[in-house]
Amino acid sequence: MNNNRLIVAAAGSGKTTFLVNEALRWKEGRILLTTFTQANEAEIIKKIIEINKCIPENITVQTWFSLLLKHGVRPYQGALFEKGIKGLVLTSGQSGVKYYSKDNPVYFGEKKDFEKHYFTDNLKIYSDKLPKFVCRCNEKTKGEVIDRLSRIYSHIFIDEVQDLSGYDLEFLKLLFKCKIVTLLVGDPRQGTYSTSNTSKNKRFSKSRIVHFFEDTSIDIEADSDSLTINHRCVPEICTLSNRLFPGFKKATSDNNERTGHDGVFLVKSGVVAEYLETYSPMQLRDSIKTVTNKNHRTMNFGESKGLVFDRVLIYPTRPFINWLIDNKSDLAQTSRSKFYVAITRARYSVGIIYDYGNHTDILGTVTFK
Amino acid sequence: MIIRKVKIENYKCFKEFSIELDEGINILVGDNESGKSTILEAIHLALTGLLNGRYLKNELTQYLFNNEVVTDYVKSLKDKDGAPKGPPQILIEVFMSGDNLAEFEGDNNSRKAPDCGVWLKIAFKEDYKSEYEELVKNGNVETIPIEYYEPVWESFARDQITPRTIPIKSAFIDSSSHRYLNGSDVYISRIIRENLEPKEVVDISQAYRRMKEAFMAEEAIQTINKRIKSSAKISEKDVKLSVDLSSRNAWETSLMTYLDGIPFHHIGKGEQCIVKTQLALGHKKAKEANLILLEEPENHLSHSKLNQLISTIKANCEDKQILVSTHSSFVANKLGLGSLILLNEGGTVRLKELSPETKSFFERLSGYDTLRLILCKKAILVEGDSDELVVQKAYMTQNQNKLPIEDRIDVISVGTSFLRFLEIAEKLNKTVSVVTDNDGNVAALKKKYENYLNDKSKCNIAICFDETEDSGDLEIGGKKFNYNTLEPKLLKVNGLKAMTAILGTDHTGVDELHRYMKSNKTECALKVFDATRKVVYPQYILDAIE
Repeated sequence: MNNNRLIVAAAGSGKTTFLVNEALRWKEGRILLTTFTQANEAEIIKKIIEINKCIPENITVQTWFSLLLKHGVRPYQGALFEKGIKGLVLTSGQSGVKYYSKDNPVYFGEKKDFEKHYFTDNLKIYSDKLPKFVCRCNEKTKGEVIDRLSRIYSHIFIDEVQDLSGYDLEFLKLLFKCKIVTLLVGDPRQGTYSTSNTSKNKRFSKSRIVHFFEDTSIDIEADSDSLTINHRCVPEICTLSNRLFPGFKKATSDNNERTGHDGVFLVKSGVVAEYLETYSPMQLRDSIKTVTNKNHRTMNFGESKGLVFDRVLIYPTRPFINWLIDNKSDLAQTSRSKFYVAITRARYSVGIIYDYGNHTDILGTVTFK
Repeated sequence: MIIRKVKIENYKCFKEFSIELDEGINILVGDNESGKSTILEAIHLALTGLLNGRYLKNELTQYLFNNEVVTDYVKSLKDKDGAPKGPPQILIEVFMSGDNLAEFEGDNNSRKAPDCGVWLKIAFKEDYKSEYEELVKNGNVETIPIEYYEPVWESFARDQITPRTIPIKSAFIDSSSHRYLNGSDVYISRIIRENLEPKEVVDISQAYRRMKEAFMAEEAIQTINKRIKSSAKISEKDVKLSVDLSSRNAWETSLMTYLDGIPFHHIGKGEQCIVKTQLALGHKKAKEANLILLEEPENHLSHSKLNQLISTIKANCEDKQILVSTHSSFVANKLGLGSLILLNEGGTVRLKELSPETKSFFERLSGYDTLRLILCKKAILVEGDSDELVVQKAYMTQNQNKLPIEDRIDVISVGTSFLRFLEIAEKLNKTVSVVTDNDGNVAALKKKYENYLNDKSKCNIAICFDETEDSGDLEIGGKKFNYNTLEPKLLKVNGLKAMTAILGTDHTGVDELHRYMKSNKTECALKVFDATRKVVYPQYILDAIE
């Protein structure tokens, strides 16, 4: 049997629950559950407690970065770097800028400026370089890093695997080759973040990560069928989300509950306040720059990942509206993922603010008032 | 799971010290003040965080540090042109091996190479940089600024840990008893607790809590509380009597261990030692190992009790690692000389490192003499009892009638096994003189001791013999008389008249006296020993005493 399994799951299909149940099945050996965000780590812990009352002794939940730092960097750090590493600093974009040449950054090279390439001045390791350091450490110690890890954990389960990129994937490859049993669950459609922006494995980032696993040199069994039932969103929402990613296996909804306001609604800007008063949806926006109604709760798309609301109200961007009107129009990969996440947060209703005028016949939507 | 090696730096008498341990029994032998107890204490400290039964954090003092290191440090700051040193730190490094220890693997150790283990560091805390700077600037550093120190545990994987996470638990069994406030013995509570499975610990603490709650629910208590409440007008707040439910390990400090109905700390020290050891030996947990540290069990045990204890240890030491410190040859001998670790001038020598012949020789021996050689300051090795007496007397004559042993110089008669003892002496770097007869063949003697003579001579080993080969016509029983042993040499230097006076005999001929001395060696030696007259000693004996 294959030691490594990837399950491509749809939003709302109960990924985390599935993963937690899988982990709880093992009474022997030690299991590590890891995921990219702290929010999702908390979600996993909450799920385990819901099902099992407490975290069993043989299960460890840890974020991806903390795993890399604890078991990847620290044990054999001495092979590469003597000084004490003071922790981690989260970076967006490539780290270790040496100077700017006509507004274009020039970076510290690994060979020439090892310390500056990997670390801040106060010796915190850049998050985008973290998995690279781990891979280097493993090379230098002739595989001690992975060997040690494989003697600690019998199983490593990764949730939201779509968030990994760059050297993370190199580290994954090393895991696949050792005796640890891995189970990866993720929804490539939700790849709004990635752990780093390094050029390594760039072609596999975001929703294309699924292709990484099609690489024949990687020993993994991919499964796109097990988790395609969306337990969360009503059929209207589910259908719209499927249309954002036509290349993927379609998810089907089994939420047949009706509340009297169900599906996808176009809301004119003039009635937003009234809409908010009536349905109390969570307002979702692309970034802090978008002005929302101060009297009601607001979140950025990215932030909302992993969360569930009864209703949401989306402040769309222009390209999204264009796509809504014509599904063939251009929508960047990141934006596509963000809207996919935003829509699939809602159980019953998605409101989209759009002064539709005469455009009342947009596919899959109903106008509010 | 075992401890393979322990490295100690700057702790008490050890500036730098390392000791390797074997599976099973390890016997630590050394003189008083050689640091036996310190080693046990340091290992226990690193594994439990306990010093004298209390938490190290609250017990930090400058006296934990090696005195020399502290002096050097203070001096380096005071010296005008000396190179100032940073605040010193204590390091106790524990190297482990066994299954399920992968988490403790890494290169965060003094070897800077992949290994498995943990360390305890008592070091200056970076948070106090500015205070320290102020202190140094004012030139007020008289000793270690211990208030800015803290103990830190880390695994070789650079993971900060607490002693709780270390899978090897240690049970320290010594003569002192450290007690909780209620009088119950700290170590016995610990040993018992460590024998319990997590479920049992939970059961106990729950039962204890229920008992307290039941007490609170008692009608009498409630009535009393009502009365207190109504009469106490101390403040606006509710005043009532309650049992302490707050402390975390309440049951441990409140419950007492009983033996046949007698509180543990009221039973004899010897019995305490046996019970603690047996409990520790009974420790059986799959995921943890147990190290038993037994300090000088002979101190408070009668011979038969000691015998009983040792038999128990021998019978139950399977899968256990035991470190016993002792200066009892009986203990060393019974537990097996192969496990002997000799502690000497800050280093260790293991008996198993000796050549197999020498090792088996000493294993067959009583063990007593080995320990004598180890424990004395200097040794004079002689062949037999009579040589021993004469050498002792010669020493007393030279040193205001003081016995050599009073100066910690041991005169040991070793029969013909000089070379075996020298092998140990060499390993221990012990000052040793050999007093030997030349038996009429100086060349053969020189050949025998060739590794210790001329260009191969060792500064700590002196081979003393008479360079002159004496001869004569006397034959006894058809055999030529050996003129080159102690007695004829004594007669030679003292002369017939003086010798008969010393021995209290009336021999008139030299040959006659030779005969008498040969057949009454011990008697003659005793006479020499008790002599009030001046005795002249052969030069080689005087050399040996020097």
